[in-house]
Amino acid sequence: MKTFKGGVHAPDNKALTAQCPIEQMPLVPDYYVALSQHIGKPAEAVVAAGEKVAEGQLIAKATGKVSANIFSPVSGEVVGIEQIVNAKGGKGDYIHIKSDGEQRVVTLSALENPTAEQIVQRIEEAGIVGMGGAGFATAVKAQPAKPVDTLIINAAECEPYLNCDNRLMIERTEQVIAGTRLLAKALSVSNVIIGIEANKMEAYNKLVGHEGITVELLKKKYPQGAEKSLIYACTKRKVPCGGLPMDVGVVVNNVGTVYAIWDAVVNGRPLYKRVLTVSGRGVAEPKNLEVRVGTPLASVLEFCGGISENTVKLISGGPMMGFALTGTDLYTTKTDSGFLALTDKEASTLLPTPCINCGRCATVCPMKLMPMYIDFYTTVGDYASSVKYGAMNCIECGTCAYVCPAKRPIVQSVRLTKMKMREKK
Amino acid sequence: MEKYVFSASPHIKSPRTTKRIMIDVCIAMLPACIMGCVLFGWQAIVVLAVATLTAVLSEIVYRLCDGVKFDRILKEFDFTSVVTGMLVGMNMPAGIPVYIPVFASIFAIVVVKMLFGGTGKNLVNPAIAGRVFAFMSFAKAMTTYPSAIIGSLSGGSITDAAGTVVTGATPLSALLGGNTSTLTNLDLFLGTGVGGVIGETCKAAIILGGIYLVIRKVLNFRWPIVYVAVTGLVTVALNGFDFAVFLPSILSGGLILGAVFMATDFVTTPDTKLGNYIYFVVLGALTAVLRHFTSGEVVSFAILFMNLVVPIIDKYVYPRPFGYVKKQKEVK
Repeated sequence: MKTFKGGVHAPDNKALTAQCPIEQMPLVPDYYVALSQHIGKPAEAVVAAGEKVAEGQLIAKATGKVSANIFSPVSGEVVGIEQIVNAKGGKGDYIHIKSDGEQRVVTLSALENPTAEQIVQRIEEAGIVGMGGAGFATAVKAQPAKPVDTLIINAAECEPYLNCDNRLMIERTEQVIAGTRLLAKALSVSNVIIGIEANKMEAYNKLVGHEGITVELLKKKYPQGAEKSLIYACTKRKVPCGGLPMDVGVVVNNVGTVYAIWDAVVNGRPLYKRVLTVSGRGVAEPKNLEVRVGTPLASVLEFCGGISENTVKLISGGPMMGFALTGTDLYTTKTDSGFLALTDKEASTLLPTPCINCGRCATVCPMKLMPMYIDFYTTVGDYASSVKYGAMNCIECGTCAYVCPAKRPIVQSVRLTKMKMREKK
Repeated sequence: MEKYVFSASPHIKSPRTTKRIMIDVCIAMLPACIMGCVLFGWQAIVVLAVATLTAVLSEIVYRLCDGVKFDRILKEFDFTSVVTGMLVGMNMPAGIPVYIPVFASIFAIVVVKMLFGGTGKNLVNPAIAGRVFAFMSFAKAMTTYPSAIIGSLSGGSITDAAGTVVTGATPLSALLGGNTSTLTNLDLFLGTGVGGVIGETCKAAIILGGIYLVIRKVLNFRWPIVYVAVTGLVTVALNGFDFAVFLPSILSGGLILGAVFMATDFVTTPDTKLGNYIYFVVLGALTAVLRHFTSGEVVSFAILFMNLVVPIIDKYVYPRPFGYVKKQKEVK
């Protein structure tokens, strides 16, 4: 079975939601749609307070190439544009829409047998961004500046707990495959690989046997889905330090993204809904949900039966790379792959102790860095040495901090060094 | 009001902690300690207990003097001092005056470990330094080995040049010249009829502990094997490629004890695979060469020396990141 060097076998806890079919999150009265749900400039609102909007109507326009259009998740009335500090600590503008319970829906035109240009154009129009978490404009990725010969669909979903991609592949196999073919056409590549971790055999069995698409079964190991690790596992190509996948002729996209491409091209539906996993032992009824963008997290958690008393950590995303939340003041975006409520038994709250130089962090680092030195030099303020041992090449996967017996906050150190280096520039 | 822990990712961590690793090391050393007590009697128990207690107490007293509150010391107690204390005891012959393990443990903890910053900051292995300190200060007592209670299974013995049986002589003294040994490799392996310090004679018990550490993923099996094999092979080469000395050389003295529990200490070994290869190969060769030319037991000195070389190895040996591109020299 193919894989990369390093990594760690962490308990995946996927069983909590692996068998839960995707459910529709019911309508809620209020939606807060963030203008910045992607990497790049925030979108610019094109609606004003008091305006009636339909589900799927453009409410904010992309500003520049690396940005994305935003659509109304519901038919209703715009209350206004409000500035909100969310539970991640991020400040931004949100369009507040009150749902009116009507079924006014607008879509873009459905495309039949689209050309490569039409597909790229549609990806841009529909506001599609990388749905694995990064939120980079997919249209930009679909027009690489360098020649590419391979498209890899990231179906590894190596983050513990999360099952949104897994369920999409199981329940909407044909749509995922069709979306993959559309993207391959847009890129005009013939080598198409779906890389999937071996803990998703049900999805694997459904994916195999489609003409022109290789399904690569990968070892269950974190971070199998990290872009560079995935490319190496599938093609043995190494993305150079500081480089992009296109430097080795590869484009990587996530399962959720290709599903959104299919939806946008075949149904003309822009991106304002996504599948996400609500899990953790602090959640009464863990679920896989299809949620409209802008839904308050509190409503999502309520729909899943609420969270228990012994929840110590609320997380947006997966437990390895996700963000801790201070509370439930958060509104779903295009890039949310899940929300977790972890109990004291699941989340680690141990305080750091001195490093004992065991070297486990360096052994498991998929980027082959020296995490213990990065942590040490950052703590003493020697950022240049921290960079020397690879801080800038770190992908922040958290594998080092996961295995660390001294519970050193290594990822935090890396971020601090990166921040100091940015300040210097 | 809802209150959640707000901290950087990752939010889940492996259950392994420093404390758990150190407790595992203590468990792994138990077989060797028990065999030491079986072979050398109650005096061994006294030495081990005194050394361990002194080490733990020195750490607590040091931290109290440092102004740390007692409950915090208890909360942060990570068993490293237990490991050091046990090792100091294991490196003493049974029947040694008890003030020697007391001095050695205090030196190991206070001077070698705490003064350099405590857990993880020591330059050399505290137990090794403690042993060498005692060896230099009380050479006679440190090399007066009692005979094992259980005699040689094969009826073998160690005799001097005149043919009289030397009680309490180590098989290493036979190997390195002077005495003659008729002990079998099985005796050396089990420690029966073998003189030596408490923890080093029963190789079977040490290896059992080593296997436990490998299973618990605390110890990488590669390093003790590299160290022991290199020592054995270099000894063979130094003896004119006489392969008969291979097994006696690796089964004698403190080599196995040093290889499993002392040379492999995380803190005082290099941080990379290549660095570790360099460290253990040079350590093995150094042990064999020093043993050959000094006719003494040098494992602890060799480890102490190599501990000091580690920072140099770590300075120059570190891995290239994944996808490293060699910087092209600009053509002017």
